[in-house]
Amino acid sequence: MNAELTFPAGRQPGGGERVAPSAEAILDTARRLRWEVGGDFHQTLMEAIYTDAATIADRAVTRPGEKPRFDLDRTIDRVVTSRIWGFPLMILLFAVVFWITITGANVPSRLLADLLIGQGVPFLHGLADTLRLPLWLSGLLIDGMYLATAWVVSVMLPPMAIFFPLFTLLEDFGYLPRVAFNLDNLYKKAGAHGKQSLSMMMGFGCNAAGVVATRIIDSPRERLIAIITNNFALCNGRWPTQILIASLFIGGMVSARWAGLISALAVVGIALLGVLLSFLVSLSLSRTVLKGQVSTFSLELPPYRPPRFWQTIYTSVIDRTIMVLWRAIVFAMPAGAVIWLIANIHLGDLTLAQHLVSLLNPVGLLIGLNGVILLAYIVAIPANEIVIPTVLMLTVLTTGVTGQGAGAGVMFEANSAADMMTLFRAGGWTLLTAVNLMLFSLIHNPCSTTIFTIFKETGSRKWTIIAALLPLLMGFTVTFFVAQIWRLLAGG
Amino acid sequence: MPDPLLALSLGLLLLAALLVIIWPKQGLLARWQASQHNNERVRIEDALKHIHKYEMRGQRATLESLAGALQLSTEAAAQLLGRMQALGLVEASSDSYRLTAEGRDAALHIIRAHRLWERYLADQTGYREQEWHEQAERLEHNLQPEQVDALALQLGNPTHDPHGDPIPDAEGNFVYHGGRPLPALPLNTRARIVHIEDEPETIYAQLAAQGLYPGMTVQVLDVSPTRVRFWANGNEQILAPLLAANVSVIPERDLVQANGAPRSSQTAETLATLRLGEQGRIVAISPRCRGVERRRMMDLGFVPGSVVAAELISPGGDPTAYRVRGAMIALRREQAQLIDIQRVAEMTV
Repeated sequence: MNAELTFPAGRQPGGGERVAPSAEAILDTARRLRWEVGGDFHQTLMEAIYTDAATIADRAVTRPGEKPRFDLDRTIDRVVTSRIWGFPLMILLFAVVFWITITGANVPSRLLADLLIGQGVPFLHGLADTLRLPLWLSGLLIDGMYLATAWVVSVMLPPMAIFFPLFTLLEDFGYLPRVAFNLDNLYKKAGAHGKQSLSMMMGFGCNAAGVVATRIIDSPRERLIAIITNNFALCNGRWPTQILIASLFIGGMVSARWAGLISALAVVGIALLGVLLSFLVSLSLSRTVLKGQVSTFSLELPPYRPPRFWQTIYTSVIDRTIMVLWRAIVFAMPAGAVIWLIANIHLGDLTLAQHLVSLLNPVGLLIGLNGVILLAYIVAIPANEIVIPTVLMLTVLTTGVTGQGAGAGVMFEANSAADMMTLFRAGGWTLLTAVNLMLFSLIHNPCSTTIFTIFKETGSRKWTIIAALLPLLMGFTVTFFVAQIWRLLAGG
Repeated sequence: MPDPLLALSLGLLLLAALLVIIWPKQGLLARWQASQHNNERVRIEDALKHIHKYEMRGQRATLESLAGALQLSTEAAAQLLGRMQALGLVEASSDSYRLTAEGRDAALHIIRAHRLWERYLADQTGYREQEWHEQAERLEHNLQPEQVDALALQLGNPTHDPHGDPIPDAEGNFVYHGGRPLPALPLNTRARIVHIEDEPETIYAQLAAQGLYPGMTVQVLDVSPTRVRFWANGNEQILAPLLAANVSVIPERDLVQANGAPRSSQTAETLATLRLGEQGRIVAISPRCRGVERRRMMDLGFVPGSVVAAELISPGGDPTAYRVRGAMIALRREQAQLIDIQRVAEMTV
């Protein structure tokens, strides 16, 4: 405290000339007053400022009567948050959103795949031939980098471009905050915020988008919880894996009539397991590592308004397209290069991929998977969409099955379920492998786009590492125990 | 492929070992961290605090009181005191001990660090009141004077910790609250809680669980050897005299005006008591609503004077949405309980 206070001499309110008090005396007075004023002084002052501001605003601002709108809002609110209609309405709305996404995405996905992969790859190869590119270069560029990029775009773009605009419309209308309101009590029990239901819902589309969506949670602790647990929402890139494996292995166990239903139930079961895990992890995080983070709950329920339909659709679709393209180019393209390279670089007689697979096999088999799957998950960290194509390619490479696939390092999808089954059998897959693959696909580290997004959103290395490694460790633990118990019960 | 039974047992064993290591508080990791905090310097600093506390109460610290407080054997306590005398921190007189000027400075530094850290935990983190003291007990030994000053500056040089204890300033000056124990308050006198003793932990946890906090208005209804019955912010409460003695109060007529005007006495209700369709005017926001959360509430329009109406209740039973200043804001029950209101009749719009 080296304040040098100078006061205009004299001029006291009481009038009359007085000698200015010395700086020391003023500081002394300040020190004494500090204790007299007491601890709540700042708060009292702040409260007074807020109250004054509110009073002034009340005096100066007139609110034109908005009674009709207000009553309409009230009626809608009564219905969407009612004890009887609240939850059924919510489930119905989301079911519709998912249904539109799934059925609506099929056609454009196939079109894109036809165009980008079915026609794009041969065309590019033709181009490479006329340019007389060396085989290794065209392989790396086209079979590796281009193919991975195209794959991600065709799998991811259509569902993203349908799912997110629908969500944005619901948000624009004002319905989503009511969902958080309805579900908050459930999330409160897990130490989380009701709005986590929304970011999780977004996570079903894309975890990276889900992590960004946690911005709506303004309480720091609950936001971190939502970010770390978002990965347990089964994302768009993982649904196809689940559906494929469930229909091949689990649907294959029962008669054809029930196959569809049983495999659908298995996939829904996995998704629900994810929701359950997100609650459990939320609970334990809020009780342990996140205990000290600030927690402030508040949830605004804005008035309803008619959504600006076309504008919302347009911006949302453009946003998603840009995001998907960015992700495909920044993350999937290098992954494609790596996949092609490990399958084509030879060390001795074997390729790098074969060495890695035999290296990973003991661990993979111990946890009920195999080396091929683990390697596919390692190289496909950037994008879950390419896990199954990579698995297929690596299986062909390691088993030497002929008549399938398009060469070393070229990801592909089998023509029929039977083909794929033959291939998996050749790779030594059992029902346990399938179940554990479904579990591991749900519980493993987020894709690198999501990890990167988590880092950008939290700005913290620590939370990024926790968010990446926690699910991975959980995945290993779960699959390990499932495998051991399975083998004990099944007798080998 | 290893035998599944063997693998399963090994896996379970590993999992158990991991839990034993990282389990909060009782785990090996937590214990190892705690043991790191039990060296001689820490013991000396704890001893300084103990002697200072006794001096503040007008008592004299003895070998036995110190051994009891620090959970040491009498020999170890004697050894510690000998070391402190050699360092010139305490001086012995007959069978009791006093702080030297140097010892007092050191004690005040520790106390300042402790109370500032509690203030920080209360205002800027999400830890609950039961956890403040324990954390501060560990951290006080690790803060350098410059860090303590920086902390004080960041917190706006607070005068009191969240329990109502004064925080010594950088020169070691402070003013004691001067309250008296709750059971000693004359009957039917309105008084303000100025301090709640945070040691021992079990007693403090009970007081905190009763919802008592510094700044609360109380009035004693009757005192008997087995219980103290009193009003606290409109609710009747009962405490054992031993517990009640850990609450210090000052009668409202003795309070300096600058300490904030005495709060209105009709605040019998909180926002949480409003049923759908009812409304009330906010009278005050409880001091228990601190830091970021308090500011957030005010940002949303929950300020004294605002009229709030309960509009919707979640189908889950909680939270409730309130209309305040033209906006609909949902608050959880625990938050609504922090806002004191006065009911007002339905407004004619």
